[in-house]
Amino acid sequence: MHTTRRDLFKFIGGSAVGALFTPAPWRLITDTALWSENWPGIPRPARGEIKTKFTNCALCPAGCGVRARCVGEQPVSLAGVASHPLSRGALCPFGLAGHHLPYHPERVKAGDAQGAAAAVREAVAKCAGNERIAVLDLRPGRTASWTYRRALAGVKNGLYVAAPQPLGGWAVDLAKARTVISFGVPVLDGWGTPGNVLQARANFRLVQVEPVQSRTAILADEWLQVEPDVAAATAIVKERAANGPVLVLADWPELLALNQPGETIAPRQEAPVPDSWKTAAPVTELSDVPNASIRALLIDESVPGAYIPWSEIETKLVRDNPMVVAFGPSRAGYGRHARFTIPTPVYPELTDDIPPAVDCPGTAFRVSAPLLPPPGGVVSPADFIAGLGGLDAANALRERADAIHKSGRGAVFTYADAKSTPVKELQPDDFWKALNEGACWIGNSATMPARSGRGPALPREPRPLGSGHQDSGFTVVFTGSQPGLLVSPILSKLYQESNLRLARNGAVLHPDSARSCGVEDGSRAFLETPLGQCAVEVALDPSVPPGFVQVAAGPEVLDICGASLRARVVRA
Amino acid sequence: MIAENRKNKTARYAMAIDVDRCTGCGACMVACAVENNIPPAHEGATERKGITWIRVFKVNSGPHAAFVPVLCQQCGEDPPCVHVCPQQAVEVDPATGIVGQMPERCLGCRYCMAACPYHARYFNWWDPEWPAGMEKALNPDVAPRMRGVVEKCNFCHGRWHAARQRAAAEGKKEIQPGDYVPACVEACPAGTIQFGDLNDPASAVAAASKAAGSFRLLEKLGTEPKIYYHSRRDWVRGIADAPQPPMGKENARG
Amino acid sequence: MRIPGKLLFLAGMLAALGVGWVGFPLAIYKSRPQPVDFSHKVHAEKAGSSCEDCHAFRADGTFSGIPTLDKCAGCHAAPMGATVVEKKFIEQYVTPNREPQWASYARQPENVYFSHITHVKAAQLKCEQCHGDQKSNDKPRLYQEDRISGYSRDIWGRPSSRVPLRTEGGMTMGDCVACHRERGLEHSCLDCHK
Repeated sequence: MHTTRRDLFKFIGGSAVGALFTPAPWRLITDTALWSENWPGIPRPARGEIKTKFTNCALCPAGCGVRARCVGEQPVSLAGVASHPLSRGALCPFGLAGHHLPYHPERVKAGDAQGAAAAVREAVAKCAGNERIAVLDLRPGRTASWTYRRALAGVKNGLYVAAPQPLGGWAVDLAKARTVISFGVPVLDGWGTPGNVLQARANFRLVQVEPVQSRTAILADEWLQVEPDVAAATAIVKERAANGPVLVLADWPELLALNQPGETIAPRQEAPVPDSWKTAAPVTELSDVPNASIRALLIDESVPGAYIPWSEIETKLVRDNPMVVAFGPSRAGYGRHARFTIPTPVYPELTDDIPPAVDCPGTAFRVSAPLLPPPGGVVSPADFIAGLGGLDAANALRERADAIHKSGRGAVFTYADAKSTPVKELQPDDFWKALNEGACWIGNSATMPARSGRGPALPREPRPLGSGHQDSGFTVVFTGSQPGLLVSPILSKLYQESNLRLARNGAVLHPDSARSCGVEDGSRAFLETPLGQCAVEVALDPSVPPGFVQVAAGPEVLDICGASLRARVVRA
Repeated sequence: MIAENRKNKTARYAMAIDVDRCTGCGACMVACAVENNIPPAHEGATERKGITWIRVFKVNSGPHAAFVPVLCQQCGEDPPCVHVCPQQAVEVDPATGIVGQMPERCLGCRYCMAACPYHARYFNWWDPEWPAGMEKALNPDVAPRMRGVVEKCNFCHGRWHAARQRAAAEGKKEIQPGDYVPACVEACPAGTIQFGDLNDPASAVAAASKAAGSFRLLEKLGTEPKIYYHSRRDWVRGIADAPQPPMGKENARG
Repeated sequence: MRIPGKLLFLAGMLAALGVGWVGFPLAIYKSRPQPVDFSHKVHAEKAGSSCEDCHAFRADGTFSGIPTLDKCAGCHAAPMGATVVEKKFIEQYVTPNREPQWASYARQPENVYFSHITHVKAAQLKCEQCHGDQKSNDKPRLYQEDRISGYSRDIWGRPSSRVPLRTEGGMTMGDCVACHRERGLEHSCLDCHK
């Protein structure tokens, strides 16, 4: 018996027809379609119980109330707390994605904390009489700041240095102002407490004095595209004083002095602290520290605050082999200049309190309670520095809360039920529990103190105003402030996938300016000052006046600009 | 579709956006990306290839400027994208009026992107990737999409599902106004966006849609969008008829 | 001698039918046993439990699905009966506090938003409508997973042939649509997809 090709074909033909009457081919088609719908490699969001947790955002001094939607314990989205007395239910774009920060690719997760502690101890040991062991606090006024001061009181030659406060330590009452005259302050672009500013906005007239068309300039009632000197600025303020209380916002003390203290502006107040803390080291400003006097410097940038250009810090360090330790979640800040970078918890892993924002005229106290446990290997700077001074500060927040409770003043607003309860009606334990489950204590003195007395000292070394520009460079204008070193990677929606905000390495020029220095739209260039240079990507915008360059305020740019605010743009 | 035996009350969800209030902060864009499991930009993503279901554009006119959030305009009965889809992957949900995009049906031909006069549709040029660990923070109510499909705003439809589930848990048959609000509406710190049901005459959007100074984008095309804009300024209202979408430059995405 | 062509054709057809109806259903699924020989029958009859006692809704309206170990340990911290299965379960899972890796027969894919509470509480469906009668189920059947799509066999339904689709016996989209259509609740894809 022999088979032919023809027989084989007949058999195959029969199988093909037979197969059509079985589920196999149809099922394979369906299965392939289903497989393609559930494409492998795409992450599967975890399912589970939906819980709501509350905390306060620690990304900037606004400290907005946060409602976190969690799957199990994991926060998956954040929103504001409606009817919050300070933040009015709002969150800024950075705060809305704050729960991504623990997973930021640039986050530092390991550091040599023991080595750093040994090095600091060694520096303390060989510290000469006129040399200092200093802590630089970028966000003063926290309970952690008090811990630093208390610990430094017990360290030989210890010195506590606070970063300059916005508006020189004054607080403003926007609700009382009828006219707000802002000299380049980004009032409507993340300044103060965004929700509070936007709510007050309906009741004041905003005059923005700024050379470039910033977001605030666009939205102001009146935009003066000038760069005035003090005399001209005073004239602008005087001219508008007739329409009721005026609030002047500026970075320069001469202009801030045009405000009437007690009317719309008053010294910032601090929540009560335990009496036993009053022996802490005094607060020193960096400008008061003698040059070349700091032997070891510990910089806390675990929570974002003011960034001081490195050149200003460097002049205060001893010339021979100073010891710098940076506490921060990334190496992008002072970690670039430090011998040790010690990783810290980031929001929403950290436990910290947030001092009142610049637009909070009264006292306030709120705790950023962690939504997630911090990973192993991170170090709380407060614990580290307390350890140096032999201080046990593990319960500092609780002690502070008890001191506030003891004062009996004010009321606590709890987020879960949106209720305000006078502190007097609460037990200390309940007060502490409320603070940790999402609440905000507001002192009674939310009204402005009487117009008398001197306020805190204003920052020295005013930036030059309206100075003659003889050099060939451009005036640098900062825009798009971002809170701190890390922002969620999802913010790429605003600066990479759209042009709503300026990317951190972006520089915007007028087309004529660009032509004069030979750069084109989208080309790479360097921003150059006597202090160094920084790579930028150029964008052209006719709304930036010729002679100006608009850049995002990142540490790299701030470091090279220093106080001069003049820079050249050089083709790469 | 068997319209005659539908039992549920039908809604026509709509938005009213007050351009004069928008500060251009971008909170809506971030909240949208977080809510809808949109990954951070791939390094090659640009203004043309990125995914921003809602996008705030800056519009200039001489010394003035305004910020205009643009999202899927949720065209009425007859959206241009529905007609052109060879896969029936786009449809108007008669229960909510939402124009839905089904990524699992989409074959990635991008006809709909060419057809959309608002450039509100986005193509996944890359696999969705999150930094290590960040996939834990994904929203369980929205399925991540794969490379090669088109996606767009669906009024946070996952929130509609979640609201219906909550209503069922509380023993309610229907969701109440306010139970279901898209993420951008909730996130806007300036209260720029209102959301509600046009079929409910008491809703704020129904009133806003008829208010003076209200306009829709490219109304002359007859797409009957359900996003109503509002401005007191004449030049801002003028962008509604612009031959190009309200943005600085032509967006030839895709 | 030559085999007639018709016979060969028929032989091929029969072979294909055999492979398609018998071999294919065996080959397409990979199976694994459940970690514990859990008896719904014993729990329903002896303990008098109803479905909701273990498969409960959470406070937020989400469905907890297969209970976690602490639910089991609530009763079975120490043996309640004398069966080997229970003893093994306590030794292997309860005492070392190890979560049993149950396989879910009814897991829907990621792109489906299925809410139990809208079906059970709002629409008053019985559990049996979709999951079949589990009260008399004494031993969990083998968990079978489709090798290509990764779906459980129960999603597809027990029979390999689903033509024409029937309203019972599966949890595919066709089954959902058929039931929704019957009740006039079918609107669009967004009814169920996310």
